[in-house]
Amino acid sequence: MTDMSSIQKACKNYEQDLVLHYYGESSPEERERIQAHLQGCPSCSRFLDELRTVLPLTVKADEPPESFWESYSRELRQRLMTAREKNAWWEGIFSFLRPWAVPTLATAVVLILAVTLTLTRGTWHTRDLPPKEEALLEVLPIAENLEFYTSMDFLDSLDLLEDMGGADSGSA
Amino acid sequence: MGTGRPEELGDETLVTLAQKGEHKAFEELVERYKQKAYRIAFDFTRDREEAKDLSQEAFLRAFTHLNGFDQRASFYTWFYRILVNLCLDYRRRGQRVSWQPFEEHDGKTAEKNEIANPGPSPDREAMSGEISRKIGAALNSLPPKQRTAFVLKNHEGLSIREIAKIMQTAEGTVKTHIHRAVLALRQSLAELV
Repeated sequence: MTDMSSIQKACKNYEQDLVLHYYGESSPEERERIQAHLQGCPSCSRFLDELRTVLPLTVKADEPPESFWESYSRELRQRLMTAREKNAWWEGIFSFLRPWAVPTLATAVVLILAVTLTLTRGTWHTRDLPPKEEALLEVLPIAENLEFYTSMDFLDSLDLLEDMGGADSGSA
Repeated sequence: MGTGRPEELGDETLVTLAQKGEHKAFEELVERYKQKAYRIAFDFTRDREEAKDLSQEAFLRAFTHLNGFDQRASFYTWFYRILVNLCLDYRRRGQRVSWQPFEEHDGKTAEKNEIANPGPSPDREAMSGEISRKIGAALNSLPPKQRTAFVLKNHEGLSIREIAKIMQTAEGTVKTHIHRAVLALRQSLAELV
């Protein structure tokens, strides 16, 4: 066991190359270059040795017994069967939306709408209000203009008086 | 399956047959990849039951999305991507399982081993448990992408190119992830050297 501070450092330029070299991921030219460097660099050699010691320790292989794999396959088959049944149900639903069915359904909807609108023409109301409220809505604009009509009547009366006054003075 | 025994067919053919609704074809893919899938899931969870659930879930997802798989990538690259994403989600959800030797949570195995072999002394066992715990903690402390690249390289022996495809990233990025993960692990596990 070594102290944390004594951790072996490699040459900065070679660090990543050494890691990849450890995993056998360097090209033949790189391998040659690294080998040549390692021969003259004890720090990088120790770094590589450390990788060879530490990295295999991190692998913790699990070897489950045969019974585990039997139950694994059995459970998964069951789960797959449930998924298949679910898929079949959805496929049944979506079978209505096949390419030929979409325009057919759309045409049918348009036809039904056209027939309905033709047969019920004149019986449609913009608002479905009870008769009392409907009557009130008709009266309301007249009531709002009542004041105007009253003032118009008043002016008519003035004109009439004026005419009458004019007629009296003419006769005098 | 009219084109031969499933175990003799390549992944590509099996996928095509499975897409046409041949159940046996997908079951053969499961048989072919279940152990590798389990091992990867175990590398992330360090728990037998969790690894089983995650790897089975990955197969289920692959099955339900199989018709959307256009075979531009190989089946295992596509499948491992599903699996790795599930494993990363598992970690993100914070369900970290402590690193324990199996004997501690598999009573039957421990019992069997005891009968067949008296095993290591309690001191030695405790020490091995402690080392195991430290390694588990060191791996857990790696950022998700570093850990994924490291596990796929160090534990599964996949090539940088395969890992890049699975992680949908550049090969250079994978190299950097592995390099950083190795340095971090060396730092954390220096006392074991």
